Amino acid sequence: MITVTINEKEITLEKPITVLEAARSAGISIPTLCYHPALERYGGCRLCLVEVEKMPRLQTACTLMTADGMIVRTETDAIAGVRRGILEFLLINHPLDCPYCDKAGECELQDLVEKYGPTTGRFKEKKRKMPESLEDAIIVRNMERCIVCTRCVRMCEGVQGASAIAVMERGGHSHIEPFSGGKYDCEYCGNCISVCPVGAIMSRMHRHSYRPWQMTDQVETICPYCGVGCTVTAQVRDDAIKRIIPKLGSPVNNGLLCSRGRFGYEFVGNRDRLTRPLIRKNGVLEESTWEEAIHRVTQKLGEIKEKYGSSSVAGIASPRCTNEDNYVFQKFMRVTIGTHNIDSTARTGYAGAQQFIENIFGQGATANIISGISRSDVVFVVGGDPTTVNPILGLQIRACSRKGGAVLTLGKVSGLRYFSPHALDPASFTETVLLEGIVTELKNRKELSGSHSSLESNIKDIAVSVEDVIKECKIREDDFHSFITLLSEASNPVLIIGKEIIQSNGASYKLLLLSAINYLINGRIYLLSERANEQGLLDMGCASDLLPGSRPVEVAELRRRYERAWHVTLPDKPGLTLFEMIHGAKEGSVRAMYVMGENPLFNLPNSENVKEALGNLDFLVVQDLFMTETAESADVVLPALSWAEKEGTFTNMERRIQKLRKVISRAGKEDWRIISDVSGNMGVSFPYDSAEDVFAEISKVSPLHRDLTYDDIEEGEALWPFKGEPLRGGMEISCNKGDGATESGKYFLAIDRPLFHSGTLSRKSSALMRLCPEAVARISSTTAAELSVTDGDSIRISTRIGSLSLPVFIDEAYDGSLIKVSNNFRGKGVFSLMEYSLDPVLKSPCMDNVIIEIEKSDRHVQRDPKNDSEVKK
Amino acid sequence: MEKVLLKNIENTNSADITEYQKIGGYASIAKALEKERKDIIEEVKKAGLRGRGGAGFPAAMKWTFASGDPKFPKYLVCNADEGEPGTFKDRPILEKNPHLLIEGMVISGYALNAEYGFIYLRGEYPDAKHILERAIAQAYDRNFLGDDIAGKGIVFHLSVHQGAGAYICGEETALIESLEGDRGQPRIKPPFPVNVGVWSKPTIVNNVETLSNLPYIIEIGGEAYSKIGSPECPGPKLYCVSGHIEKPGVYELPMGTSLREIIYTHCGGIKGGKQLKAVIPGGISTPVLPPDKIDCPMDFVNMPKHGSMLGSGAVIVMDETVCLVKVCYRALKFFEHESCGKCTPCREGTGWLRSILERIEHGEGQEGDIDLLLSVSSNILGKTFCPLGDGAASVVQNFIKHFRPEFEGHITAKTCAVEG
Ligand SMILES: Cc1cc2nc3c(=O)[nH]c(=O)nc-3n(C[C@H](O)[C@H](O)[C@H](O)COP(=O)(O)O)c2cc1C
Ligand code: SF4
Ligand code: SF4
Ligand code: SF4
Ligand code: FES
Repeated sequence: MITVTINEKEITLEKPITVLEAARSAGISIPTLCYHPALERYGGCRLCLVEVEKMPRLQTACTLMTADGMIVRTETDAIAGVRRGILEFLLINHPLDCPYCDKAGECELQDLVEKYGPTTGRFKEKKRKMPESLEDAIIVRNMERCIVCTRCVRMCEGVQGASAIAVMERGGHSHIEPFSGGKYDCEYCGNCISVCPVGAIMSRMHRHSYRPWQMTDQVETICPYCGVGCTVTAQVRDDAIKRIIPKLGSPVNNGLLCSRGRFGYEFVGNRDRLTRPLIRKNGVLEESTWEEAIHRVTQKLGEIKEKYGSSSVAGIASPRCTNEDNYVFQKFMRVTIGTHNIDSTARTGYAGAQQFIENIFGQGATANIISGISRSDVVFVVGGDPTTVNPILGLQIRACSRKGGAVLTLGKVSGLRYFSPHALDPASFTETVLLEGIVTELKNRKELSGSHSSLESNIKDIAVSVEDVIKECKIREDDFHSFITLLSEASNPVLIIGKEIIQSNGASYKLLLLSAINYLINGRIYLLSERANEQGLLDMGCASDLLPGSRPVEVAELRRRYERAWHVTLPDKPGLTLFEMIHGAKEGSVRAMYVMGENPLFNLPNSENVKEALGNLDFLVVQDLFMTETAESADVVLPALSWAEKEGTFTNMERRIQKLRKVISRAGKEDWRIISDVSGNMGVSFPYDSAEDVFAEISKVSPLHRDLTYDDIEEGEALWPFKGEPLRGGMEISCNKGDGATESGKYFLAIDRPLFHSGTLSRKSSALMRLCPEAVARISSTTAAELSVTDGDSIRISTRIGSLSLPVFIDEAYDGSLIKVSNNFRGKGVFSLMEYSLDPVLKSPCMDNVIIEIEKSDRHVQRDPKNDSEVKK
Repeated sequence: MEKVLLKNIENTNSADITEYQKIGGYASIAKALEKERKDIIEEVKKAGLRGRGGAGFPAAMKWTFASGDPKFPKYLVCNADEGEPGTFKDRPILEKNPHLLIEGMVISGYALNAEYGFIYLRGEYPDAKHILERAIAQAYDRNFLGDDIAGKGIVFHLSVHQGAGAYICGEETALIESLEGDRGQPRIKPPFPVNVGVWSKPTIVNNVETLSNLPYIIEIGGEAYSKIGSPECPGPKLYCVSGHIEKPGVYELPMGTSLREIIYTHCGGIKGGKQLKAVIPGGISTPVLPPDKIDCPMDFVNMPKHGSMLGSGAVIVMDETVCLVKVCYRALKFFEHESCGKCTPCREGTGWLRSILERIEHGEGQEGDIDLLLSVSSNILGKTFCPLGDGAASVVQNFIKHFRPEFEGHITAKTCAVEG
């Protein structure tokens, strides 16, 4: 116990904290500028100087640690004078252009001068001049306003880990500049903007279009992009979002955001948003009324169900939609239509992998708290770059490394390359051997404990010699051994699994090996998730084999609960999975499809095949925000409200349920309401007036969400396992080793998952389009040399099913024969080239063996975002 | 007094190891290695050796802190940044007697159980770099550096790291930042370098001259050493004298020799028989003294009693022809240029002081400028992150304190009475 006295007030502390923290905890305010709770201590601005008895000099409260018996004074006349003096220094070279500065109204300097500062200036000389820098498309720098607190630099380097900016020059010339010069070459998280106390680093989006006090509303909601589920605050003026900012202390992201979360909101106000329902008449989509459109959907679905049976209708749900939307959708499919044919793009990896892991370790095995990653001592990353797929989770890995934890990666992970990774980079198609080698070695060191007999019986015979691993994988023996040592000696290890491994040949066997590793090192598993509500959609039962609460369809005892709640008899066999639906459509057993907030024609591999399949349908309904590739081939298109325009909940990858709040109003209907309308029209009425009503039903029907209310969620109490009953693991394990793909081609195609994009929404956001305006083929410098191409050249990539001409981007951080292309840009998606086979266990596509032909093509002309129809608002 | 630090430097080959050994050099290593580590620290304590870098911190105390820290490895850093204007006392050691420093570092490294040493060398001493590197190579050859020093299994490696020309990098924590490859800016203390220094490991930073005293302390013993010079801070001391003086140069004298004796006895008095006007006794950051204050003994204890500080022992002598407003202005130009920019008062205040002084110096002074100077400097003094800013403020305050009429004259006459 430590007792300190600040301004005659005795404060008792459990452990030493800074004088500033102690004072603030006791309600004593001390002005600060360079201090920021999320950043390392600095002590530069000197505004927090206080008097401490027995210390000859004034002390900075933000750096001084409390000690027992310390006596501090913060409000003496001398201190008032010091504060005046410091603020005067900060103003002598400051342009005092508050009337013009976007920061005015929320500027810490302005507020402090108002409270403590001098009233007149004594500086008669010329002020320092530095022109405002508008060289960057997103971030504007005004270094005359900079007070050199270095909060931005400490954020960029010490938290974000991008190390893109620094203080340049010294003394009075000190200013902040990107290492890359005027333009930033960084991750564009914008976290520097968040921490700048003045108007020196700001966003160019909506520049000069609002003042902080003119915001009519400020709404806390959840980011619409990835499965991390960051809390965001959306600020609104005139029913338009002007800014998205993070909040310190929020769960998961605690004051941080990534580029998508911060700058990717403009799709909401994009002028391409669908506004009226459309019906295909004489081959063209024409505007109609809601009544007519719903009537048409009702009639066609009814006809087809009548004629071909319930199982001829299929539904694709959306990981972008809320739990409520998805719950209502699956209920519609199961109750109104009478089929389990409801699935989603979670089937491309997340769903199968999660189910596989849960079968072994129990439901919720992947529901681990993201902030725990930074506290672990070993992080093992397999199958993707967490810093681009789930950026805020990626920061946790960086933080772990900074605290001295070891980062192990299978293959090279670009976003972790400055965090001393121990990378084992096996030759193509040898991951399985490597994983077997790791399991073998860990078994030797740890011995099987016998606590999980089914898993142990599956791995007891795995034995690969170190020599074979080294030889086949072409890795260094030392590297392998130090990897094993780190894994086996870890006390709090974490395993992070990405889609690349789930979508590779023999994925289920690889997952078995990873589960074995996890078991042997007693770790926790995190599954990367690309979409905001991928987990929620599964928990809501938008899977052909799972009912809400992730109860298997086939178990009659479990099924009965839902039958009672919904007053129906449910089919006793699972429905069609996503890929089975496509197959069914192609060969005629599926005649109608209802797609909610998804774009399968673009988002699934072998797009041409999907197009053919969907073209074969008698009836296709698409409910979306935009005229997507899929919507273009629909018979009826229904405009939906976006994430910002509705209430509801998302469940993130930690399985934390969080509240989405309506930010702006727009005429239209939520997805769940449209579906309820259709259902009502088909004779099964759903009794919901609000998203909360839907959730009330969820909490009755789903054993996992039992008794959970919006109030619990608002209070942040909806953490796994909620109040519900998770299922135990230990199920029988089946897996498939794949066909043992080998290196038969020279170049291979892989999916690029860029930081600045995510499917259909990001390409409708002008800021993200400016950051990454077009599709590229990311190639290694070796490949570039072999093809004799340089940046700016184009190559044509051809597979058996298609070809694309793309400008090349030479990635120095990478040296393989893989060519990476993203799936974000219209007409340029990598999925149009990708054939796949299905993993028989996971039911997800394997896409790691796509052999391609490459040739140099015509020189590429840079796309101008200004004239781009996708971008224009 | 027998020369200790500058012994034999008139010899043109003094930097060569053979010459150095000829006069008994490197003998103290063997003697030191026979002692226990803690006994060497005890000798240094008995010797009363205080740091010669400016602050006069007791060397044994710093060493005891570092030795007490259980973390390994430990690093020994020699501060050879010698950036304080007027200071050139370390230079003759670096250029003429490098083996003395190396020997001192090997002994210190052994005492402190540090296996790596760095010499952080002023960027503007390119010759010293070559000389030191050659000397280090020779010491490796003769097994005074390496993995098995003097066949006793003692490990000590030494290398030279050259600074890039920033005064602040002489401050020990900024030096460490710079050594690690970061921007040269001071760090928060505590933790002190003795616990968290280079690469977060215990680190001892000592001045060139401080470390160069080690061989002699080992040779004659702490007790005998403590009899040299001032009883409170004994030992030989290098005074580097510049300015209007007959014989400028570096003088090795017992600690506590008075300014008067240094100027008039050893340096031959004021150049051309002119009148002494002012002395800066310990480098530009130490308070200027008028001629009536030069009888004080030049040591760490007595100088503060006389209104100044020993600092680096860099005596800058100014005669009657000097305009002190100009000197003050030039000093502030230096501080403004060298401010690292970390803290507000120094970053903004030094430039402001400089610009006011510039106006006064150029005959554009205004009424109230002197009060403004005093007020701005008192807003700096005691509020900065490191002593650099304090130094700047105290220069202004002390010049005005002792020579206010000269400043007033500039403002009222709009010109300089001394230089015209
Ligand atoms: C602005 C500033 C500059 C300094 N420059 C030097 C220098 O050039 N050489 C030096 O030895 N010490 C310098 N010091 C002092 C060092 O911080 C440190 O006290 C010294 O190296 C310790 O060595 P000592 O105990 O042997 O004196 C400087 C201090 C300050 C605040
Ligand atoms: S740009 Fe802002 S955050 Fe960065 S140093 Fe300047 S004032 Fe501080
Ligand atoms: S990490 Fe994911 S949830 Fe968080 S801001 Fe980025 S995209 Fe949004
Ligand atoms: S006083 Fe402040 S600005 Fe000046 S050198 Fe020291 S830390 Fe840097
Ligand atoms: S807030 Fe303490 S020095 Fe800046």
